[in-house]
Amino acid sequence: MSEDRPVPPSTEGAPKRSRVVWAFAAVWMFAVVAGLSVLWAWENTPGAVGDAPAQWPAASGLSRAADAPTLILFAHPQCSCTRASLVEFAEILARATKPPKAYVVFLKPIGFGLDWEKTDLWRTAAGLPGVSVIRDDEGLEATRFGVITSGQTMLFDESGALLFSGGITGARAHAGDNAGRASIVALLNQRTTDVSLTSVFGCALFAEVN
Amino acid sequence: MTVSVDPPASESGMSVTGRAAQIFAAAQREIHERTDRLFAGLMAFQWLMGIIFALWVSPLAWEGPVSRTHLHVWAAVMLGGIISLFPALLAFLRPGQASTRYVIAVAQMLMGALLIHLTGGRIETHFHVFGSLAFLAFYRDFRVLIPATIVVALDHMLRGFFWPQSVYGVMVASQWRWLEHAAWVLFEDVFLFVACRRSIAEMRETADRTAALEHEVRTRKQAELDARSARARNDAVLEVALDCVILMDEAGRIVQFNPAAERTFGYSTAEAVGTELANLIIPARKRASYRTALGRYLTMGDTASFNRHLELVAVRRGGEEFPVEVAIAPISSEGAPMFAAYMRDITARKQADRELHKSRDAERQNAEQLAELVDELRVTQRRAEAATRAKSEFLASMSHELRTPLNAIILYSELLQEEAADDGHQSSIPDLERIQSAGKHLLDLINGILDLSKIEAGKMPLLLETFDVGAMVDELVDTVGPLVYKNGNTFSVQSEGALGSMFGDLTKTRQVLLNLLSNAGKFTKDGTITLDIRRATIDGGTTPCLEFAVTDNGVGMTAEQSRKVFDAFTQADVTTTRKYGGTGLGLAIVSRFCDLMGGTVSVESRPGHGSRFIVRLPLQVVDTAVDTATHAGIA
Repeated sequence: MSEDRPVPPSTEGAPKRSRVVWAFAAVWMFAVVAGLSVLWAWENTPGAVGDAPAQWPAASGLSRAADAPTLILFAHPQCSCTRASLVEFAEILARATKPPKAYVVFLKPIGFGLDWEKTDLWRTAAGLPGVSVIRDDEGLEATRFGVITSGQTMLFDESGALLFSGGITGARAHAGDNAGRASIVALLNQRTTDVSLTSVFGCALFAEVN
Repeated sequence: MTVSVDPPASESGMSVTGRAAQIFAAAQREIHERTDRLFAGLMAFQWLMGIIFALWVSPLAWEGPVSRTHLHVWAAVMLGGIISLFPALLAFLRPGQASTRYVIAVAQMLMGALLIHLTGGRIETHFHVFGSLAFLAFYRDFRVLIPATIVVALDHMLRGFFWPQSVYGVMVASQWRWLEHAAWVLFEDVFLFVACRRSIAEMRETADRTAALEHEVRTRKQAELDARSARARNDAVLEVALDCVILMDEAGRIVQFNPAAERTFGYSTAEAVGTELANLIIPARKRASYRTALGRYLTMGDTASFNRHLELVAVRRGGEEFPVEVAIAPISSEGAPMFAAYMRDITARKQADRELHKSRDAERQNAEQLAELVDELRVTQRRAEAATRAKSEFLASMSHELRTPLNAIILYSELLQEEAADDGHQSSIPDLERIQSAGKHLLDLINGILDLSKIEAGKMPLLLETFDVGAMVDELVDTVGPLVYKNGNTFSVQSEGALGSMFGDLTKTRQVLLNLLSNAGKFTKDGTITLDIRRATIDGGTTPCLEFAVTDNGVGMTAEQSRKVFDAFTQADVTTTRKYGGTGLGLAIVSRFCDLMGGTVSVESRPGHGSRFIVRLPLQVVDTAVDTATHAGIA
């Protein structure tokens, strides 16, 4: 009797099944690559850049330093992409030989409850030494400075002239080397830069009005 | 590790090497399937963790006061699902397949790429790559590292080329930096490759050892089975053996005592086992020599007393001594030597031998007596033959001597009758006729005796010639007619076809028929007598013959009379002679003549209904006496 002998699995139809598997694998691979491509594209798509004022707006409620540059980061408190901007903001402050006067201005639109803006971003910014964290109700300050995308950073000199305006991340939510950070650090330390305007990667501060 | 393996080699008839390969393949398959399941779980876990991470870190994307689900969440759900589900599905549908492992390897690296995206390109997330490679090494198949490494290298190459910050954390990087990353991956691959090879080698060793162990266990089991079977066979043989079989150890103690030994010696196995053989069944006076022979074998290997058939004396329970045939053989076995004693009670054989000797003595004596008797019989036979010859010669010579004066008496009585008739002495004629009749009767009697004597003495020659049967019958009818017709009988001769001629003794043939017809005429009165002649064969054989049947409806005979009718000097009964006359020799002569000519004669008869005598004579009569004499060279 051969009942107890190991019966080899039937290989009939195995090549066909294998072809089906590899076909599925190809489709799967294509879908994954397509998805990653979409993600990649989105992460590298900057937000809209507003018209920054050449001089410190007179209507601003923020006080500008007369003996040092003033560095302002406008942020949406719920924007996760801005977390990377705060990291870079802290990096700039750390690299500056002479610390500028620094603001992080968080938007608070109308209609949100108390402390809506007190997110981890707020707490991170508040934890940075020498940084003033400001609540910008209804985005008035942002409007005064012409900012429409979270993460936009501006540097004014002691006279109130705009030295730099733009994003300080290379992509959405991606910390690390980027042109904006490098320019600001250069302006703070050497007073010169080749780049004074960069793309901003972050959430829109204001809803788009159709 | 629980490994589901196929039946062992003992059941599949596989070699140890083949079995080792089978065990190795089964273990490898088990590892592959188990690791597939682990990765399926890991995929699900990573997917879930990706979603949780996305929901925690970047749940929403905002436009001022307006929020919507962050693209990272959708990417974690959708893209993570796409990446995870297909390999997880393969892990459950096609566990253990190479394609499943390769897809899982690719998926795991793609998951790493996704996580790097979701974490914003954090360099720490790269540890996922190294962890995943280590996890893939669980397969103990270094080939799965190849697609994984290729995916990592391609991902780094493409992102390093188009978006270096997402993978290197710097804005500008060398276009060859991906090679550095790939090299570190390969660096880990080398260790994992070595680890896989060692694991595989260990698995092979384990499989070899397991197969060898199985083989060893199987061999031992088989050996145990064989030994058990052999013991069972031996026990069965010993149980039914007609001879005594006794096994002993080196000290001569009994270790096995079969039923035949129990019956022969009167001890049970329980009583015998453990007892020294010498003390149990060997007479006291013989024990010393037995022990000496055993000792010689054990100390010097002297086998003079072994492997031989010996006739000894044994003793039963109760002390009865009896002869036995013995063969003692050392048993070749490991350890201490053992002996097997085969014994057979030969009491009956000895008794039979003795009786056989006696029987042979008696036979020899009987043979001697028989030989003496044969010698006596031969002497007696020779004497009887001599007496018979003397009697025949005497009868022949006496008959010859009697016939001469008797013929003279008959002749002279006839002459005297004629003279008495011529002389007118009518009163003397009846007396003379009686003298003549008595003389003729006496002459017939003497002639018959003479013929019989000649036949018995072997001196009756056959005068063979070719004669015409019809002429012989015609002459016979003329001769026998008066005898047949004298009692008022009718007589007829019937024949089938032409009778032709025969080669035989005409005189004796005629004499045979004459005797039969004269008898028929004598015992039939006012009846019918027929002679039927036809060609036939003797006794249904192939010898052609003439059949002569003489039938009458006379007095007939009983069966008893019919059986004796051809004996000499015998008639139906004593009254027949008185009533019908005759010598009682006629039919005896008929019978002898028929024999002499190679023919036969038989009779069918019923009292009061007549008789039928049938004579069959060969057409070619052979004179056996002449033939024999010719062959003897004395013609």
